[in-house]
Formats: sequence, C-alpha cells, structure tokens
Amino acid sequence: MPDLIAFTLLLAITAYSTAGGVDFGAGIWDLLAGGSRRGREARALIDHSMAPVWEVNNVWLVLAIVLCWTGFPLLFQTVFARLYPLFALALVGLILRGAFFAFRHIAEDPRAHRIADLVFGLSSLLTPFFFAASLGAIASGRLESFSLMSIAFGLVSLAATAFSGASFLVGDARRYGAIELVGYFRRRAVIAALALIAVGSAALITIGFEAPDLFRPMLAGKGFPFALVTMVLTPVVGFLLWRGVLRWYRVLTVAAVGSMVFAWAFAQSPYLVPGQLTIAQAVAPFSTQVLLLVVAAVVLLVIGPAMGVLYYLDQRSALESPET
Amino acid sequence: MTSALWLASEPALLPSRIQMAFTLASHVLLVPLGVALPSLTLLMEGIGLASKDPVALKIARRWSVVMAVQFAVGAVTGTILSFEFGILWPRMLGQFGGAFGLGFAIEAWAFFLEAIFIGIYLYGWERLRPRTHLLFGLVLPPAGLLGAFGVLASNSWMNTPAGTTLKAGKVVDVDVMAALFTRALGYEFWHFLIAIYMTAGFVVASVYAVAWLRGRRDHYQRLAFAVPFTVAAVLAPIQLVVGDLSARALVADQPSKFAAMEITWTTRDHNPEVIGGLIDANGDIHFGISVPSLDSLLVGYSPNAVVPGLTSVAANARPTIVEANITHLAFDLMVGLGSVGAALAVWHLWVLWRRRRPPESIWFYRLAALAGIGAYIAVETGWITTEVGRQPWIVFGVMRVADAVTTAPASFVWTMLTALVVIYALIAYFFVTLLLRLSARWRREDLNQPSEPEVGAPYGPRPRTFTA
Repeated sequence: MPDLIAFTLLLAITAYSTAGGVDFGAGIWDLLAGGSRRGREARALIDHSMAPVWEVNNVWLVLAIVLCWTGFPLLFQTVFARLYPLFALALVGLILRGAFFAFRHIAEDPRAHRIADLVFGLSSLLTPFFFAASLGAIASGRLESFSLMSIAFGLVSLAATAFSGASFLVGDARRYGAIELVGYFRRRAVIAALALIAVGSAALITIGFEAPDLFRPMLAGKGFPFALVTMVLTPVVGFLLWRGVLRWYRVLTVAAVGSMVFAWAFAQSPYLVPGQLTIAQAVAPFSTQVLLLVVAAVVLLVIGPAMGVLYYLDQRSALESPET
Repeated sequence: MTSALWLASEPALLPSRIQMAFTLASHVLLVPLGVALPSLTLLMEGIGLASKDPVALKIARRWSVVMAVQFAVGAVTGTILSFEFGILWPRMLGQFGGAFGLGFAIEAWAFFLEAIFIGIYLYGWERLRPRTHLLFGLVLPPAGLLGAFGVLASNSWMNTPAGTTLKAGKVVDVDVMAALFTRALGYEFWHFLIAIYMTAGFVVASVYAVAWLRGRRDHYQRLAFAVPFTVAAVLAPIQLVVGDLSARALVADQPSKFAAMEITWTTRDHNPEVIGGLIDANGDIHFGISVPSLDSLLVGYSPNAVVPGLTSVAANARPTIVEANITHLAFDLMVGLGSVGAALAVWHLWVLWRRRRPPESIWFYRLAALAGIGAYIAVETGWITTEVGRQPWIVFGVMRVADAVTTAPASFVWTMLTALVVIYALIAYFFVTLLLRLSARWRREDLNQPSEPEVGAPYGPRPRTFTA
C-alpha cells in the first residue's frame, strides 16, 4: 500500500509535468515570439489556447504537495528543509506568471503590455526549471539546491516543456484554422525535440557521473522501459512534425514527457531520497494511508467523467460571437 | 524577555510568522466569494429559470464570470500557502503531516472537483440545456463545502489536536476519524461556513447598494441586491448564536485563548466584560468600557460563573501581552461588526415582511454599501482571533510555533516575504482593475448593445476565432 500512495504521488507529479508543461512551454514560445508586432499572431494563439486551463494545472501541484505531506511527512520535511530556495524561486515564478497572464488582458498601454508579456514569458522559465531542479537535487541523493544534477534536471525540463508546448500549439493552430501558425509551431516543435534529445543526453551523462546508483537502473533496471519510451518517442514526434504527419503527435508527446518522469521515479525506487529515505521509512501511519486512497478513489470516480464533459464542451462548442 | 530569546534562537521566526499571516490574510479574503458565490449564482439562475426571467439569468451569468476570475486568483494564493507549510514550518508537517494533513488531502480533491465544475458551468451557458446547466452547477456548493470542511478540519486539529499516538516524538498511529473530527471542528466549521455565506451575500449586495445610491433602481438592480442581501440577512442573526456557542466552547477547550479574547488576567467569578481597552503586563486594564459581571453571565448564565484568566496558564504557554491585546481587539471588532450586520439584517427582513419590498431609506443603502467591507473585516478579525489567540502554539498544547519554524536563514525569509508583498500588491491591483473593467463594460452594455459576458475576461470559453 505505501507503494500505491507513492504511485499516486508520482501520477500527480507526472500530470503536472505534462499538462503544466504544455502551459509553461506555451509561455516559453511567447517569450521567444519576438517584438510586439512580430510576435502578435503567435501570442494571440498562445493566449487563446491557455485561457481556460491554467488554473486547473495548479490543482495537480497542490495535490502533489498535499499527498506528499500527508502520505510521506518525513519526505516533505527533509526535502523542504534543504531545498527551500528552489521552491521559493519556483513559487515566485508561478505567481508572477499567473498575475501577469491576467494583467496582459487588461493592460491598455502598449509598453505595459510589452512588460506583461516579458514577465509572463520569463516566469514561464523560472517555474519548470526550479521545480525540476528540486527533483534533480533529490535524485542525486545529496539534496543540494545548486548542483550539476539540479541544473541538468532543470535544463531538461525547459527543453521538455518547450517541446510539449510547441507540439500542442500545432494542434491549437489547426483547430482555430491559423494555417501559417501550424508551420510556425511545427518548426519550433522539431527544434525543441532536437534540443530535448541533446539536453537529455547531456543530463544522462551527468547522472552517470554524479549519481551512478540512479544511472544503472535507468539503463538496465526498473527505469529502463520508461527511459526507452522517451528515447524512442521524442525523435518519432519530431519526425512526424517535420514530415507534417499531423496524427498522434500530441498523445505521443505526453507519453514521451510522462515516461521521462516515470524513468526517474522508477529508477530511484524504493528510495524517495536515494540512499537516505525509502518509501517504507517515510510513509504515514496505516490508517492515514487508507484514508488517502479511499478519498482518491471516490473522487477519481467523479472527476474522470467530469473532465470528459469539460473537454467535450471545450472542443465542441466555442463561443459563437466574435471577440469585440 | 522571552520573545527576544526566541528571536535569538530561531532567527527566521519573526519573518516566517509575518509571511504566513500576510499570505493567509490575503487568501482568506478570497474564500467567501470562492466558496459561497457559486451558491448565490445558482440561486439566481434557479430564480431566473423558475420565473422565466432573463434579467436574473443575465445576473447569474455575470456573477459566474466574477466567480471564475476570483477562483483563478484563489488558486494561485492557495498554491503558495501549501508550499509555505513546507518552506516555513517543515518540522510541524514532518511530525504531524499524517494527522494534520488529512483535512488538506480532502480539500485538495474538493478543489480539483471545483476547478473542473467551474469550467463546465462557465462553458455550459447557452450550450447545455438550461436545466442540465443548473444541475452541473449544483455540484459546486457541495464541492466548496467539502473543501471548507477539509481546511477547517486541519485548522481545528491545530486548535484541539486529537487522534495521534506518539512514540518518542514520532506519530506511530493515527485515528483518522478522531483526527478529522476534533472538538473544535464542531463550532469552527459552522461558524466559518455561516460567516462566508454571510460575507458573500453582503459583499455582492453592497455592489448593488452602491448602484442604488447612484440612482440605478430598475428590476436588475433590485433583484441583484435583494437575493444576496436576503441570504446574508437570514444568516446574520443565526451567526450571533453560533458565534456565542463557539466562544463559550473555548472556555473548556482553549482557556488561554478565551482569556486573551476577554483580556481576563486572573481566574475569577463576577468577571466584567471589557469592551475595547488594553491590558498591561501587570494585568491592569486601560481604556475601554467595563460592564460588571457580564462576562461571567455570558459564560455561565450567572454572575458567580468562574472565568479562566491568562495567569491560569504558565507565562510561556499563553499569548504574550501584545498578542492578548491583538486577540481581544480583533474579537471585539468582529463581534461589533457582526451585531451591526445582524441589526441591518433585521431591518431588511422587517421591511421585506411588512411591505413585500426591500427598504427604501437612503441610510439603509449607505449601511448596506458598507456592509461588504464590514463583512470582510469581520472575517479577517475572526481569523486573527483564532490564530493569534492560539499562540505560542502551532499545535495547541503540543508543539510551539518556535519549534516548528524553518532553519533557513532569516534573510532568506525576509527576502521571500518582500517579494511576496510586492507581487500580491500587483495581483490585488490587477484583480480590482479587472473587476472594475468588467463592471464598467456590463454597465455600458445595459445601455447599448449586449454581448457575451465572458468577453474581456482572461478565463473562460473563447470565441471560435481569435483576433491578433
């Protein structure tokens, strides 16, 4: 049962990395879209695709945090007592992003609008980088906020979010019939896939030197199947988008990024902090575990269908009247 | 000075307390509308459907837009809070997460449910059949209630901890039901629930009270004022009773908090009720109005009733003099505002009952316009009463705030605090600007051409085409 709780926690982290990753990725492309005039089209699409979902992604994060402190109090204490600078920076990014996303909808002065764009874009870099850096610091087993491992994980997350962001923006551009933007984001998705392959390889080498105990199961153990999925799917998605075969690419993008998170988690299991803390050591008392799983099961039964309805409504029926 | 000693040994204590207080005080302002506005909106939608009134439906739809914006801001400030438990109080969570966290585990899922159904509700206008739309919306109030239950279960656990078995300082067993349903939950839950519904009612109505004062007196204004105000008015007198029960329960559950609320120095009978006023380090009361024996009467219905004093608890286990004074003034302000609210409520209900219409006195609307701000202040002061009154404990009688605080350097916490204050100020500014813009646009539309209420809001369904 402790493993089941750990798995639920992993699912929440993965959901945040994939769904949140798409959002942060869009923010990164917003930052790279160029000046006010040049980036106008791309920004409008990004804005348009992001509006309804971003606060739902925060829910995954809150869920992960709460599962962590209730299910594994000792892990929570250990990690936060050491890695607080990383979390603080990620948080600052998170609120700046939320605030300035809203602000650019109300800013009328073009200069204020430009500043809002910039802050929004930059904070989209901060949050995924520092959250992933904390995972890197955990994976190294040394819990150092600023180390090669934390930087490597952070950079991988930037490439991964840029990749998933671009891939999903291709889909949104098609949905809204913005033909020239389909090509625009396809090119960017291919570049991001190449970047992810390059940064991912570098990160793997870093893991090999810095955390050999993690490296082995990643390439010849429990983490390997997932690592393999990532290594195969990332180039496949890149290839599909390059050739303009616009099918399956979004599902495969999620699978590629999600497997990467799984590869890390399975490689370091049964440790929560390699060499320091195992799942069994950190887990909360039995009755707490039962309650956590019961609540999760009940709510998932409601949430599953509800998400289906929301997705259906979002895909099927947009507002009829044009924006004023 | 004990507090000076704590500062020396736990350098991050002061900024951590300020940061937690600041972020919670900000978040608590978003809670009333976050939890209770969906109910008011659904009520309005129900009225619109039942009486086939397009104006009521228009109001409901506009409120749902405010609901979404407000929810998005609350999601951000709530996320910050959950991280702060780790950044600022890692030792408390490390030790008691398995018990304290239970409520939050429920809340997190409830929040999830709410986020999804707010989305469905927002998207469903004019796309789902009216009845189906209302039915989907009906998930929102219970989801909000469940979330409020979770947070209050956790807070109640901090006030009257129960259900944990400790062995060598480590929680080895948790009785889930006992940890969730602690003594304080019985009163904290109902008191807070009524408070947020009342606040939402007063706040929403106050917007239309201002409209009345500015001369708008049509069906739209009357409906949008009367519905939320009546909800608040029905609850306000009930709250006086529930609040009284809550305060009296503290005599047994948290005598030091009760003593601070009433600034009682020594345990005694014939205890006076001090309204306003301050206590000093010798236990002398300055300023304020002292009503002889009233506190004893309120607590035990007899002047002979014995009321606990601050000195009944060791000096290092009760609020400091400054904290006691803060608790006391906050408590008095909350009670005072609640009483004014109840009086206003009786006025409204009386006229409604006798004349079948809302009051028409300009003074009534002036007060109603202020009731929104008053309700927010009452929520804040009520929260200050319970949190400051619990000091120096983070888990009452079990763990001190000073023993839970992070070992991070004070400079780190001060820096983070500064950043948060600046960003929160920006968010508040954006939030208010956005609401004012929406309101101004809706007003223009009522005079001219109507359009979709969601246009211009950052969250919600989007047009099929986008414009660069």
